[in-house]
Amino acid sequence: MLPLSAKDDEYKPAKLNLLAKTSGWFRAILSDQTSRNLFFFLLLNLSFAFVELSYGIWSNSLGLISDSFHMFFDCTALLAGLAASVISRWRCNDSFSYGYVRAEVLAGFVNGLFLIFTAFFIFSEGVERALEPPDVHHDRLLPVSVAGLLVNLVGIFVFQHGGHGHSHGDDGGHGHSHSLFNGNANHKDSHTDSHGGHGHSHGGHGHSHGGHGHGGHGHGGHGHQDQALYSQDKFLPGKGSSKQILQGVFLHIVADTLGSVGVIISALLMQKYDLMIADPICSMLISLLIGVSVVPLLRESIGILMQRTPPPLDHALPECYQRVQQLQGVYNIQEPHFWTLCTDVYVGTLKLLVAPDADARWIQTQTHNIFTQVGVRQLYVQIDIAAM
Amino acid sequence: MACEPNRVRLLCMLSLTFGFFIVEVVVSRITSSLAMLSDSFHMLSDVIALLVALVALRFAEKTQATNKNTFGWIRAEVMGALVNAVFLTALCFTIILEAIERFTEPNEIDSPYIVIGVGAAGLLVNLLGLCLFHGHAGGGHGHSHGGGGGGGHGHSHGGGGHSHGKKKTGKICKSEKPNSSSSETNTLVVVDHNSPNGVNAENRGYDFSKDGTELQTNGSPLYDDIDHSSAAQLNMRGVFLHVLGDALGSVIVVVNALIFTFVWQPCLPDEACLNPCINSHSTDHKHVNQTLVGLMDPGATRMAGPCWVLYMDPTLCVMMVGILLYTTYPLLKESALILLQTVPKQIDMHRLNEKLLCLEGVLAIHELHIWQLAGSRIIATAHIKCHDPTAYMDVAKRLKDFFHDEGIHATTIQPEFVTFSSDSRDSLCELSCRTQCAPKLCCGSADKAAEKKAASEADDGLREVSPATLEVISEDPEQAAALPLVVTPEPPAVPREVESSL
Repeated sequence: MLPLSAKDDEYKPAKLNLLAKTSGWFRAILSDQTSRNLFFFLLLNLSFAFVELSYGIWSNSLGLISDSFHMFFDCTALLAGLAASVISRWRCNDSFSYGYVRAEVLAGFVNGLFLIFTAFFIFSEGVERALEPPDVHHDRLLPVSVAGLLVNLVGIFVFQHGGHGHSHGDDGGHGHSHSLFNGNANHKDSHTDSHGGHGHSHGGHGHSHGGHGHGGHGHGGHGHQDQALYSQDKFLPGKGSSKQILQGVFLHIVADTLGSVGVIISALLMQKYDLMIADPICSMLISLLIGVSVVPLLRESIGILMQRTPPPLDHALPECYQRVQQLQGVYNIQEPHFWTLCTDVYVGTLKLLVAPDADARWIQTQTHNIFTQVGVRQLYVQIDIAAM
Repeated sequence: MACEPNRVRLLCMLSLTFGFFIVEVVVSRITSSLAMLSDSFHMLSDVIALLVALVALRFAEKTQATNKNTFGWIRAEVMGALVNAVFLTALCFTIILEAIERFTEPNEIDSPYIVIGVGAAGLLVNLLGLCLFHGHAGGGHGHSHGGGGGGGHGHSHGGGGHSHGKKKTGKICKSEKPNSSSSETNTLVVVDHNSPNGVNAENRGYDFSKDGTELQTNGSPLYDDIDHSSAAQLNMRGVFLHVLGDALGSVIVVVNALIFTFVWQPCLPDEACLNPCINSHSTDHKHVNQTLVGLMDPGATRMAGPCWVLYMDPTLCVMMVGILLYTTYPLLKESALILLQTVPKQIDMHRLNEKLLCLEGVLAIHELHIWQLAGSRIIATAHIKCHDPTAYMDVAKRLKDFFHDEGIHATTIQPEFVTFSSDSRDSLCELSCRTQCAPKLCCGSADKAAEKKAASEADDGLREVSPATLEVISEDPEQAAALPLVVTPEPPAVPREVESSL
């Protein structure tokens, strides 16, 4: 029997599947820039963690061993991000009617949770050390943590514009973070930079948001112009699609950098001023910083996962409702639900109560147009005809 | 509903655990035992888990829609379950790391009696917690009772854990509001979200009998209670697993300390003995000295107790991690699948599609999406192609009943009308939702299609007011070829057939 559809899998021998699958995964990873970056950085991080682990075992330093475990923990975060970026590109099938695009939001959320857990863990270790300062051999820890810092700086350099530049339409958005790579990477710089990075992404939202404010006021012309702006942003492939993953990964790298920086600072303080309390205080400060920096990512992913109305549409939607109600024949709008499927993809459902003599098709097309202008491309409009 | 006892239980457990955490911190300061301090932090993470579950519960009680959350907060419980599962996994990782550290550098317990005492107290607290949350452990979701069309109601009957909650003096968590959207259609509701989507269930003073099947025969308002309970189940399962993990930890602590007291022969400070299990640099030197001494005087030096005792702790920890991961994984998977907008597992899309096509008046179906909001609250959206508006009015009612039979109570059906009956164009979608899959596919044709759609949308924006747009959507084959609006849905529609690389 000839296979009648692409779904006839039983004709493939099982063994071939595994090889084909892994090579398929590799091809998928290497095809997209985001996942390529993630993959190579993951390899770099993993190799460095192994080096640190072996060095720690060889020199019998518990601090190095635990630091290498921390790097392994980071590698799992990178792995989760990589997996999510590959998975979210899979095609939709029967069980996943929307496809797997939500995986990126979930990955960002889980990364955020892991980061909070890491911060909590570091804080508790700091408290323990403050109460019972252990004998730390900082002479061994210093060169390794400097090397770790360099690895993390590479990561920040790679992912900073790679993440946010995407949502701004930059194609080769890598070579911009000069200030960071000058080597004076004390944590304040990276901290403000990461907040600037946040400003970037929110500015990305604000960009399209301001555009809709305009479209609301004017009528034909404005709407056209802003929509063209909007469509430029939205319809290039992979646009803003991995924002959540990259944000999560970026925060993880920043957290690790902060850790290395904290170790270096405390080592210097201890060597110069013999201030043993510096180590735990640094750890506690760092954990607080990590916790604070994760909050925006968490808020955004929680909003998406809770099916909240998309924040960029918060102001645009009431105007759209007004416009729809002004259409001829429409009595009422009922049960509007708008939610984010993944970054920049909005889904909406709506029920319209219309007069019996109204032109249902016309109303539908108009409603679709109104909402497409604000960026809701998937809209389901149910027409309920009022009984006379 | 079962919220009240849940909340009470959570608060109870929370206060107990927090009190115990304080006790452990104090004891660890008194005995200056680092192990007890780290254990107290485990307790603190337990407190946080309970807090997360409590917060999720409180949020999920606000099932009314707000401006920002049109579905209400009902998903909060799924999120709470996910957060708990992820925290548990992270905790397991930490425990494994600590166990590996112990493997490389085993150390003795300093004051085993105190450890036994505190460990036993912790075990008692955790056992109490286990009893409190046991009713929710089974996770009886997704039972079908064969009522209506083939098994898909997904009720949970939670081992009686919820029905007795309902019997409580009729005080039900949800406010008693009239259920104005009993059938989600033909209801005059103002836009300001007063009564969303069947969320405010009417509790018409049902007497919630012990037999769960009676509940099922009534209409949709019931499902809110039931799916609230099954969503709450997910949350409570997370809490239960956390408490289980802590109980196992306490068991391990107690067992380890007991074995240590009875089997281990320690090195007393005034004796000349060596500890062969701990190889640190300092004892290495001593070791050299002692062996020299020992060669001269065999039997004078004592060896500290059997080394395997020191390795019991990490081994037991690893076993506990295995058990925890095994039990947490289903919870993690289930909550993650709900959040990924999966089709609920009790629904078969193919069969649903076929049945829908069999309905009278339905010519074609596009863009069918079914997903689970939380618990058994399932939402479906679709485009249905029919002949004309009058035919649509008949079909609409039948569609609603069909979906109700399947257990899906919130549906939004977008009708599409044909100008003349042409079966050849049935598979085309008139007002295609610009699928999100298309721009993300690797092939370039989808991108061009997306750009064409962008251009056509820009055009449509100009022609908003003119009725000429009606002509654009005609089904004329010659026109259709020239229109990107109608033709381009084809390429993205077809790749949808290809399955993912699962």
